[in-house]
Amino acid sequence: MSSDIETIVKTAIANQKMIDADSITLETSLQDLGVTSLDAITIVYEVEEICDIEVPNDELENLRTVQDIVNGVRVLLDNKTAV
Amino acid sequence: MSNRVVITGLGSISALGLNNEAFWQAIKAGQSGIDTLQGFAPGALKMALGAQVKGFDPAAFFAQKDLPLLDRYSQFALIAARESVEDAGLDAESLTQAAAVIGTGCGGKETDEMTYDHLYKQQKTRAHPFTIPRGMPSAAASQVSMQLGIQGPVFTVSSACSSANHAIAQAALMIRAGIVDVAVAGGTDAPFTFGLIKSWEALRVVSSDNCRPFSEDRSGLVLGEGAGMVVLESEAHAKKRSAHIYARLAGSGMSSDAGHITDPSAQGAARAITAALLDAQIDYQAVDYVNAHGTGTQANDRTETEALHLVFKSHAAKLMVSSTKSMHGHALGASGGLEFIATVLAIRDSVVPPTINFTGPGEGCDLDYVPNSSREHKINTAISNSFAFGGLNSVQVITRF
Repeated sequence: MSSDIETIVKTAIANQKMIDADSITLETSLQDLGVTSLDAITIVYEVEEICDIEVPNDELENLRTVQDIVNGVRVLLDNKTAV
Repeated sequence: MSNRVVITGLGSISALGLNNEAFWQAIKAGQSGIDTLQGFAPGALKMALGAQVKGFDPAAFFAQKDLPLLDRYSQFALIAARESVEDAGLDAESLTQAAAVIGTGCGGKETDEMTYDHLYKQQKTRAHPFTIPRGMPSAAASQVSMQLGIQGPVFTVSSACSSANHAIAQAALMIRAGIVDVAVAGGTDAPFTFGLIKSWEALRVVSSDNCRPFSEDRSGLVLGEGAGMVVLESEAHAKKRSAHIYARLAGSGMSSDAGHITDPSAQGAARAITAALLDAQIDYQAVDYVNAHGTGTQANDRTETEALHLVFKSHAAKLMVSSTKSMHGHALGASGGLEFIATVLAIRDSVVPPTINFTGPGEGCDLDYVPNSSREHKINTAISNSFAFGGLNSVQVITRF
């Protein structure tokens, strides 16, 4: 599932920024990708739709890298499975 | 001492073409942009006709990265605004200081309805984050400012079918007051969305056969879409940069019926025309041509004719009056922009646009409606009328420069 999450997140970023998903690594900073706040909420929206999760607003404040998004999604999915 | 206003740029996209040259050639030739409504499942709608923009590929006009945030109504606004600015030959510095006043009756309905479809019909739990920035009624104005680098006063004017006419008035007033030297103004609308079409059907004012303004057998309006934008400029600024001047915007007049939300008032319309002529300091007997609101509904065409009689008295018989909506359809908030452009070019070319589909005068419609074919005739002074639902009236007086 971990790599699936990574693919989903990278694809969402790639779609929003109209770039090649392969050019994105986990370490890439969102700032370097030119991700604005509107981009960020749109990327999160795509991921929420695909993964059927709800990302709380305050989680968005702490996103710096692609890895941060992947980690956040993983936690939310784990919590969902636990419930 | 107020600045005088001239018109130095024109731009449009409509059922008559993707640019202003195509628009004007079609108007002069009396061609109809009305056709069978496309893009909806057979049997889903009663509305049979539309004046839709044809052969339009957004990718040919916009960078792929910009398109996701552009509702169709913003796309139209940008295309027309860009053309008007290029036509005016404005440099970046002039644009930086300029204003933009964009009329729209509907705003980003394509975007709104897409989200409502997701939520109400598809039972999705969340809206797309672009819904607000793409669909808001001021989105087109913001996009015009962003893409053209316009950094002065920019806002939206919404008064249904008078939106563009009111927007032009606001822009002209800012120039006259010395707030700006240059303004892009006009209107845009893209009303061919399922919910909006259904809502227009419910009003029972939409024709199922054709748009025949002022005719005895007229059967209602036909919806259109597009945008019409103009560049207005202080005469001093235009002369200083040796700009080509199409015509003078001599005055603007506005009134409200304060009557009924759908029924028009001849007195209300007459007050707007009178106010415009007073503002322009032009005697009513000097007016040659009236670009009518002329929707093709029973109520508008009879009432508008009555208003012209009230203002112009015996001179009404000498007026040439035409409805270009018979060709570009009723593009709602864009109509006043398209009609303003038609009026300006009528003065430039000494060609009076026709009212096409005219089959003979309706009851109470006893003026010269320039039936079916354009007419070569010198025009020195013309007015362009917009009378919206809810009794919001705006009229421009345009004179030969």
